[in-house]
Amino acid sequence: MKLTQQLHRVNFCKLCIALLLVTAVISCQKELHFDAEPQKEHNLILKFKPVVLYDSVPLVLGQTYTNNFKEPFTPTAFKFYIHNFQMINTDSGKTFELANDKYYLVDFSDSASTEIKIAIQPYVYNRIKFTIGVDSADNVNAGAQIDALDPARGMFWNTTTGYIMAKLEGTSPRSPQGGKFEYHIGGFTAAESVIREIPLLFPYGQNLDLKPGGESQMFITCDANDWFYNPWDIKISQTPVVNGPGELARQVAENYSKMFTVDSVYNGQ
Amino acid sequence: MLLSGCLLVNACKKSGDGNSGPHPLSLEIPAGFPAPQYSFTGNPLTQEGFQLGRKLFYDGRLSKDGNFPCASCHQQFAAFATFDHPLSHGFNNQFTKRNAPGLFNMAWLKDMHWDGGISNIEVQPLAPITAPNEMAEEIENVIKKLQQDDHYPRLFAAAFGDATINSQRMLFAITQFVGSMVSASSKYDKVKQGSANFSLTEQTGYTLFQSKCASCHPEPLFTDNSFRNVGLPVDPFLNDYGRMLITNNPADSLKFKVPSLRNVALTFPYEHDGRFASITSVLDHYSSGIQNSPTLDPLLRNRIPLTNAEKFYLLEFLKTLSDSTFINDKRFSQPH
Ligand code: HEC
Ligand code: HEC
Repeated sequence: MKLTQQLHRVNFCKLCIALLLVTAVISCQKELHFDAEPQKEHNLILKFKPVVLYDSVPLVLGQTYTNNFKEPFTPTAFKFYIHNFQMINTDSGKTFELANDKYYLVDFSDSASTEIKIAIQPYVYNRIKFTIGVDSADNVNAGAQIDALDPARGMFWNTTTGYIMAKLEGTSPRSPQGGKFEYHIGGFTAAESVIREIPLLFPYGQNLDLKPGGESQMFITCDANDWFYNPWDIKISQTPVVNGPGELARQVAENYSKMFTVDSVYNGQ
Repeated sequence: MLLSGCLLVNACKKSGDGNSGPHPLSLEIPAGFPAPQYSFTGNPLTQEGFQLGRKLFYDGRLSKDGNFPCASCHQQFAAFATFDHPLSHGFNNQFTKRNAPGLFNMAWLKDMHWDGGISNIEVQPLAPITAPNEMAEEIENVIKKLQQDDHYPRLFAAAFGDATINSQRMLFAITQFVGSMVSASSKYDKVKQGSANFSLTEQTGYTLFQSKCASCHPEPLFTDNSFRNVGLPVDPFLNDYGRMLITNNPADSLKFKVPSLRNVALTFPYEHDGRFASITSVLDHYSSGIQNSPTLDPLLRNRIPLTNAEKFYLLEFLKTLSDSTFINDKRFSQPH
């Protein structure tokens, strides 16, 4: 009994040292390979394009469009958080998940932010999936953050802790609130979550055959009209402002979660 | 072998000069206090970080017009509440919607603000800095002002290893300062430690307090961190429904955070909107002013009837919670 206890202790010590070394090595590796794309993977560039009217018209901030309720509106800000990209082949069932998940703020007033480059394991894929929103733990537990989640980006509420996960704002003569409309959508508790997974098919018959070391492109359209319509009616004349988590935010999120379409994919070598 | 492991770990650290780094501090945890909610993991407390936070707390440049540093509403001699104002003044002659609470033992708070809207102390400063009726500034502008300053880059480098100034570092530093404000040297604490004695009236008040008040204001923090409706009628101008604004749950209507009663004699006026000028008015409310409503706290359904003598004893006890060491502590005063 005594002997086994002693043995245990020795093993435990060794284990500790081994663990320490392993963590040291791992933390070194992380430091060294920080942000570098692994050699043999395939770079996929996602290009997000704002549109209206069933993807038919490119949207330009500051110009006027009309929503499904014939309400003219002039968007001045259109942005959202996405992360957690997955590439899928529905025939073989293979799913590739990005190892280092990080957040991106796609902001249509900043063209650099509308292109996202991700490194993918070479394979044939016919579907992409990502999450729109900021995970629950990253809203509260994480505290002060940097990069895409830096609160200096104006996507953090000031009366309640948490991120504005998507924003569409602008002007409209139909708005009873001084001619402005403002949809600041967020909410991460189980009851109020607006975090949505977005699975997208590729255009019919197209797939991405990603070869090692190459670079391909995918164009994804984001239709602002979807924010107002289906399944919920969000009329600027009745609901010019949504600013905070709750039922309305959930409705708008349900509407906009169908705004994405994979418009085209281009296989690169 | 162990040594080589350590060497490896060290070799991976970025900051080059080993011995001139920031000097670690540790949060003092008073005897009898529970473990803090915020323990500075991920934001190691250091002398340099604390001093930087202190400078930021007293710096008007964190506000749009330069006039509203944190300290304009949180004054040390009032235990960091706003002295003698039901609501505080902010940018452009506007009032805040609520009474500024005292700031102490913040590391033990689970949720901040009267409605608990802020759930992490690190991001709390974003609320006053960006609120149009408080400091009315944008975080980006604050960061720019700090970057252009002659001193801040050096102070950020001393605290964080290099001169990068970003929102995270600013928030970390303010959190190091505000989170270090600990008040636990009142007469009450000295009595608990055996180095002082309550007078007879104070002792009588303490006994009353334990039986009538401690269910919501339990020792040693004098709050249970919960949200409750104590039956204050809604102010028709402020229309503040408290916790419900955060949870959207009607069951939370008119509930507000139970405030700590430490330093309560220094933080007048009282309640979330500062409607009562004296503690006596608060006691009158518990005794005879409670307004019934569906969300009224069950503990107050029958009010807390108090005789005048009992009110006097309670008041005498509450005064023993004032911490003159804390409000005179030079570590927290305006830096020169
Ligand atoms: C214009 C006045 C004003 C200024 C300036 C101000 N505060 Fe406050 N502070 C308040 C008010 C009012 C509240 C209560 C807010 C609420 O409950 O909604 C508060 C609440 C707090 C709380 C939460 C306390 C608790 O018990 O929940 C902390 C912490 C705090 N302030 C820190 C700061 C810091 C740090 C700054 C500077 C970055 C600052 N304040 C600037 C008025 C102000
Ligand atoms: C049911 C829970 C509950 C009980 C019991 C209770 N309190 Fe309170 N107390 C609160 C809440 C909640 C507030 C804040 C209410 C608000 O502002 O809307 C408060 C506020 C106060 C304040 C004002 C503090 C400030 O900084 O504004 C004082 C003083 C006070 N209580 C003293 C007492 C005393 C003394 C007793 C016993 C006679 C007592 N309380 C019993 C929940 C309670």
